[in-house]
Amino acid sequence: MKAVCWMGTSKVETLTVDDPQLLNAQDAIIKITRTAICGSDLHLYDGMIPTMEAGDVLGHEFMGIVEEVGKDVTKIKRGDRVVIPFTIACGNCLFCKKKIWAACDNSNPNAQLMEKAYGYSGSGLFGYSHMMGGYAGGQAQYARVPYANVGPLKIESDLSDEKVLFLSDIFPTGYMAAENAQITEGDTVAVWGCGPVGQFAIASAFMLGAAKVIAIDRFPERLELARSLGAITVDYSEEDVSVLEALKDLTGGIGPDACIDAVGLEAHSSDLQGVYDTVKTALLLETDRPIVLRQAIMAVRKGGTLSIPGVYGGLLDKVPFGAAFGKGITMKMGQTNMHNYMTPLLERIEKGQIDPSYIISHRITLDQAPDMYKIWRDKKEKVTKIVIDPWA
Amino acid sequence: MSTPLTEKPAVEPLPRTAGAASMIDGHYAPPPKDKDGKMWVRTSAIIQADPQTLYERWSDLESSPSWQEEITSVKKTGPKTSHWTMKSGDKTIEWDAETLASEPGKRIAWHSTAGDIHEAGEVVFEPAPAGRGTIVTILMMFEMGKIAAMWETFVGRNPKQAVVENLRHFKALVEANEIPRVYPVPHGPRGTIGSLKESAFGEKLPIPAGSNASQPA
Repeated sequence: MKAVCWMGTSKVETLTVDDPQLLNAQDAIIKITRTAICGSDLHLYDGMIPTMEAGDVLGHEFMGIVEEVGKDVTKIKRGDRVVIPFTIACGNCLFCKKKIWAACDNSNPNAQLMEKAYGYSGSGLFGYSHMMGGYAGGQAQYARVPYANVGPLKIESDLSDEKVLFLSDIFPTGYMAAENAQITEGDTVAVWGCGPVGQFAIASAFMLGAAKVIAIDRFPERLELARSLGAITVDYSEEDVSVLEALKDLTGGIGPDACIDAVGLEAHSSDLQGVYDTVKTALLLETDRPIVLRQAIMAVRKGGTLSIPGVYGGLLDKVPFGAAFGKGITMKMGQTNMHNYMTPLLERIEKGQIDPSYIISHRITLDQAPDMYKIWRDKKEKVTKIVIDPWA
Repeated sequence: MSTPLTEKPAVEPLPRTAGAASMIDGHYAPPPKDKDGKMWVRTSAIIQADPQTLYERWSDLESSPSWQEEITSVKKTGPKTSHWTMKSGDKTIEWDAETLASEPGKRIAWHSTAGDIHEAGEVVFEPAPAGRGTIVTILMMFEMGKIAAMWETFVGRNPKQAVVENLRHFKALVEANEIPRVYPVPHGPRGTIGSLKESAFGEKLPIPAGSNASQPA
């Protein structure tokens, strides 16, 4: 089959690789009909996530038709149309029972690598480094999906692939970000990063009762999408704009009730701290550039909540923890507990409350993927979301 | 019989006072320190099953190859004795073991009596509070020189980590009915660095049969 492979930092190639095979009795093989490139794939592209190996198949947002199932698979059968959650969960461990699916105890065969880095291991993820399990990803024509009785969401209506594909990651991720923001009726929520996760966080914040959402980015096309959802936009790269000042001005001086960092470890900044973090990460003195995190901690109101769907990977420098303590804020974060959100969000799509396909800017083939990684990373085109048809 | 991994020592009883359980009289007790050629490992896991079920599965020694890495066969040789065969690379290691204690739903203790490996172990099953499953704690001692341990680490799995991984496999098999696995995985050319990483990340390690490697899915 054809697959998009990580071949080293800033090096991605579409190659012919072996087809996946059933390995365990609860596995399914999916013929992928649509897949996508996620903003978090750019962290892999940039070599920011450790334990990638040359040749690894990328991609964790995919859906398709069930091609083959193992002997213990009962919930789906050949021919079913399914969306696959990017976190892999066994469904039976203490954490799955507690519905913290992204912390599944059993789905990461390389748990010891993650235990060394993080103390305990999270669940396995598709196409996202060996520390996260080494599973082959979904930017390919086929994928092996373990625990097929637990993860796959069956699509029984005739909704197009593009409308339901983002249930595989970014829509639930944006929704959980808004849920983690502990929004109550009338809240003001600030969202850093108006990429796909930021977009869905904005839409979800309104669904959960936010009165005002302030969206922060520097790309006009993303800010425009945010405004189309009803958000107030702030372009931090404009001359004389200070985000902290803007957030005070827009909240009567108290700051947002909740802040959502939908940017993560590769934040960009137009001021001196951006240079500081770029130099420090280049010298391997820190692993992440927590520019948004710092700003969000400073911006959130006293007793407010900071929700972090943006990915962080390692050791952060100069995080104003004193400010976090001094204001008594709550922080909630982590990989998305996908399995909690897929069905309720599918219902919202079915009822026509939201059409997630509005964020798509590019539709490409697998062969075009390597170029698109570069174009998106270097911001050479107005990219909001790239969807791949693996059979085109 | 092949070359023994260790010299032949006398196996002493496990230190029950600081046994598998991690405290004495309400105070935390760290695991025994490695010394005099003895290596100690203590590890625990919380498993979603009741203590009796776990006790029974653990007591079914002949099924151990399904969840213990590199164990190829276990044969019962008497009510309390068994014969174990392990294949590590192209080396076959065999030994006899004896069950020292077996309290249904509570604990099992054993030691080796003859052969290429000298070890002793104890596993304790304790109900976790409020129906959160069972806390399974293992304490194992094996006599292995530092150089032998380094060699084992180099060619495959660190022997202490193997105890941790085996408990993880046991848990996965009980809870999810299978041990997670990824290989063989579709991939592009690994290149030199990718191949080095493959070894470093443990991809060459043997997979116990409970991962269904030996049975078609």
